[in-house]
Amino acid sequence: MTREEIIEKTIETLTDEFDVNEEEIVEDAPIYQTLHLDSLSLVDLVAVVQYTFKVKIPAEDLPNVKTFGNLYDYIESHMA
Amino acid sequence: MGGLVCANLLSKKGQRVLVLERQHQPGGCLQSYRRGTMMYDTGLHYVGGLAEGQPLHDIFKELGLLSLPWQRLDPEGFDRIMIGNHEFLFAEGFDCFLATLAKDFPEDKESLRQYVSLLQCTDEEWMQKTNAYTYLSSIIHTPLLLSVLSGACLKMELRRQTLPLFTYVHGNAPFIQSSWRLKGDGNMLVRKLIENLSAQGGELICDAEVVELVEREGIISKAVCKSGEVYEARYFISDAHPSITLSLVKESQVLKKIYRRRIDSLENTNGMFTTQLLLKPNEVPYFNYNEFLYDGYEAWDGRGYMVSCRVPEGDSHYARQIDILTPMNINECSAWINTRCMHRGEEYLRFKEQKAQECIAVAERFLPDLHSHIQEIHTSTPLTYRDYNLSPDGSAYGIRKDAAAPLMTVLSPRTSIPNLLLTGQSLMLHGLHGVTMTAMYTTREIIE
Repeated sequence: MTREEIIEKTIETLTDEFDVNEEEIVEDAPIYQTLHLDSLSLVDLVAVVQYTFKVKIPAEDLPNVKTFGNLYDYIESHMA
Repeated sequence: MGGLVCANLLSKKGQRVLVLERQHQPGGCLQSYRRGTMMYDTGLHYVGGLAEGQPLHDIFKELGLLSLPWQRLDPEGFDRIMIGNHEFLFAEGFDCFLATLAKDFPEDKESLRQYVSLLQCTDEEWMQKTNAYTYLSSIIHTPLLLSVLSGACLKMELRRQTLPLFTYVHGNAPFIQSSWRLKGDGNMLVRKLIENLSAQGGELICDAEVVELVEREGIISKAVCKSGEVYEARYFISDAHPSITLSLVKESQVLKKIYRRRIDSLENTNGMFTTQLLLKPNEVPYFNYNEFLYDGYEAWDGRGYMVSCRVPEGDSHYARQIDILTPMNINECSAWINTRCMHRGEEYLRFKEQKAQECIAVAERFLPDLHSHIQEIHTSTPLTYRDYNLSPDGSAYGIRKDAAAPLMTVLSPRTSIPNLLLTGQSLMLHGLHGVTMTAMYTTREIIE
């Protein structure tokens, strides 16, 4: 899967699951604020990534995923 | 039990509490059933850590449960692991535990020291994400010792691939501190909790199965029962399996699809086959310990048998009731998966009878000639658990925790709906200890 495909799939899934507009999901946007994540819905984000891309994000890696760009990087580097 | 503990803790703090019980009899996994003149337990066999300074002491005292007639199991060997023909004893207290096993494994004394030190570890986060089998294999290099140490683990799902060290440690350490049996049936615990609840102004309604939790303006506004009765409240706590709880919220503006999906997709632990024997009076001496039986080193393969004995009534020294438990996946009952209790047919009865005879034959390794002392045999399978306790897949310990995915498999008492909370064995820890601790976490969400 190319980075563009990852971005497209991520935006499609997150807008559906987290009730946000597509335009809000940009590379530098802060992921926690944009998706209104709390400790509970953060796990939902982890689940979305796992179900969509088969990529598991362990708790210790979450602090490194601050923006959507970080998320795309993470998925890209951890996809089988 | 989780629901009743929550109700007790909340009513004690001045909250008005109403418990809606689906069944005619409350108590969930703690409930007992009657056959003839005898009561049989469904889930309770023994409890760990009740003595002063131990994990369950303070909370059981607060719940009034310490006043029940508890019998301390044999300190020199409360659990005994028989592998082949050799029996290994678990002695009470970490030092005695170590010293006793060190006699059997003199060359593994350092490994045993590390193991005992691990059992006293309090680093929850590290233990949640550490695989129990992998870690234990790294400190214990003698396969027989690893099997012995894990031999009393029929009180958890001993699964190599997933079991977190946290579950392993919490399922073992309190029992080594001290192990206890109730002189009586599990209903005594249930009755005590109800009695206290009532004294604190709380109420319990049985035969009140909730069929819908109605969400309005982002919170649960009422619970609708099968009978049509409707109950409104500020907070709702569900002790049902999380997946079942979410299915009760039929329409929601708050619950995300992904939240429902991730809860629904979590795997459940295996179930249990239980053979419950009523023995002829005054024939088999009571044994004040649990016996765990294995052919070889298969403790981590989900095979093995636990033999437990009910404390005799009065001053008798003879056992009347013995339970034999062995893990069973619900798929072993797949032929009857669409049947309900009491309507599963003759073949199911034959299946249970055959399995019970296998269990009795295994138990005869330490209770010779057991079959000749049996008056009655009662059995249950994961299907029994599924239908009576609404436990999906007949699971004995709720949702399977995975050390490789603690974020996903260790659930918070909170849900996306602010006034809907969860409790019970599927969240963090199972068993009497785990469910009680989880209830404390759940109620803190309201009290604090």
